[in-house]
Amino acid sequence: MDIPQGSSIISPQTFPYMVAIFTSLVGFVLIIDVLRGRLGTPEGDEPGDPFMGANFKTMAMIATAIALHVILLEIAGYVVAATVCFFGVSYGFGSRKYRKDFGISLAFALIVYFSFTKGLNINLPSGFFEGVIGNG
Amino acid sequence: MFGLLGTFLGTLVGVLPGIGPALAIGLLLPVCLTVNPTSALIMFAAIYYGAMYGGSTTSILLNTPGESGSVITALEGNKMAKAGRAGAALATAAIGSFVAGTIATLLLAFGAPWMADVALTIQPAGYLSLIILAFATVGTLLGSSRIRGLVALSVGLVIGLVGADLQSGALRLTFGNMNAIDGIETVTVIVAIFALGEALYLASRHTLLSTEVIEMKGKAWMTREDFRRSWKPWLRGTAIGFPLGVIPAGGSEVPTFLSYGVEKALSKNKDEFGKGAIEGVAGPEAANNANAAGVLVPMLALGLPTSATAAVVLVAFQSFNIQPGPMLFQTNPEIIWGLIASLFIGNTLLLVLNLPLIRFWVLLLKIPSHYLYAGITTFALLGAYALNNSTFDLQVALAVGFIGYLFRRFGVPVTPLIIGVILGPLAELQFKRALQISQGDWSILVAGGFPKMIYGILLLVIIGPLVWNFKKKFAVKK
Repeated sequence: MDIPQGSSIISPQTFPYMVAIFTSLVGFVLIIDVLRGRLGTPEGDEPGDPFMGANFKTMAMIATAIALHVILLEIAGYVVAATVCFFGVSYGFGSRKYRKDFGISLAFALIVYFSFTKGLNINLPSGFFEGVIGNG
Repeated sequence: MFGLLGTFLGTLVGVLPGIGPALAIGLLLPVCLTVNPTSALIMFAAIYYGAMYGGSTTSILLNTPGESGSVITALEGNKMAKAGRAGAALATAAIGSFVAGTIATLLLAFGAPWMADVALTIQPAGYLSLIILAFATVGTLLGSSRIRGLVALSVGLVIGLVGADLQSGALRLTFGNMNAIDGIETVTVIVAIFALGEALYLASRHTLLSTEVIEMKGKAWMTREDFRRSWKPWLRGTAIGFPLGVIPAGGSEVPTFLSYGVEKALSKNKDEFGKGAIEGVAGPEAANNANAAGVLVPMLALGLPTSATAAVVLVAFQSFNIQPGPMLFQTNPEIIWGLIASLFIGNTLLLVLNLPLIRFWVLLLKIPSHYLYAGITTFALLGAYALNNSTFDLQVALAVGFIGYLFRRFGVPVTPLIIGVILGPLAELQFKRALQISQGDWSILVAGGFPKMIYGILLLVIIGPLVWNFKKKFAVKK
């Protein structure tokens, strides 16, 4: 780390070191805790078996939907990105009524886009709608 | 006007299953950024109470408490709803929240300035000891596992370190990323860890059970008998909730459980508890709301949030360049009094608005969960983006979402993480100030009566439960 000249009595590294020590310490205790058999269990009282295996397929779908939103947002604009994300998440959660899902996704994206850009004057990337529906 | 809008939005978002008050305020933050600070604060106050109240509706009708403070309400309230007394349960929750909110806001109005006066005399070392006490209580009192709370806290502290050092400008943990220089946006962390973490977690379990909404028959009102049985629990709930909010006792879990215990012990109808006793809804709901107001006392007077929700409110203040703390009472008293006045208004509006509108909120509960989570996820990403118009924030959100998932899966509480992110930099600031005053002499950290007293309390908080557990084990062995 570059430390600028003339910094104060306390180096900017002091506090991070304290945090590092604390983090290592609790990490160590956690390892002992887990090795002693106290595995973490989800809190809350949702129905279902807490020890059931995770369904990584659906989880990956949600993660992909979010990642697509991140990638598409500045390339294709908010409306496209939000539609894709909304559709992706509802697909991941098991909805299979494609036409209805798509309609709701698009409607959601449009409502949010217009209420934010027109109503609240918060700019969102318009993407290739630029010029067609105005730029905020 | 903004109060009305805030109450409406707050309840709207709070009612949605899976959204607790902290996430509700976090999600609505971008909406508030465009209006002027005064109106925004009024909206926040209204959203704060609205979201709190919205959670109770969900608990009663759906049995899915959105936050730890509503667990108890779900316990008795849902039983009442099943027995066809949903209207009475909702009404006692609403009126109880109103009574508790009004009394607690009054106490806040008197207590906070007094506390701020005291706080002005606190030296940096004393302030640091207060922060450490808050770390300890939030870290160890929340959740079932003390060590996991501390792990969450340490992750939060590390996230809080990212960015340029405030005094020297040295870059820390940025890994050459220009976007990270300003640090990690707290709102992004909050929204991502609650909304994205929860969505990923639910997806991984893929238990999309259609939760059953209980139909509400009749009006949301109470009989004279219900009133007779509710008013004492309301007052007792307030008396329990407020003080426990003021001292950093770690959120609304403890007071609601305590209130429930008290009502159960005092009730003449003990056999009704567990089957839908109205006292079991009235007391904890009042405690929950009074607690919410109590938490605002250290938040406003000391700048120390002790619950996730208070942390979000603090961040909201900061986004208007208002730094809560003892100085605020001197420099901008109109903000404090404006906020307190709006808390009163928001609380009253809540009662006026919600009793007639309950049927509308119930409709919201029927949104299919895949659309609900799609909407929450998309809106959370919007909130993360709109703050700085930067996709870097979105990448952070995705990463934090995964942390949130892992926390959720392995029973690690998230509130300590949020407190760590917010108070970590503040702790460092006070730490440095203290050492600058003493010219690098570390003994200043424990010098003077005030820090000594706080560290004494800290020892009690840490050692007390250990002794207690040991005694219990011993007793069992005997």
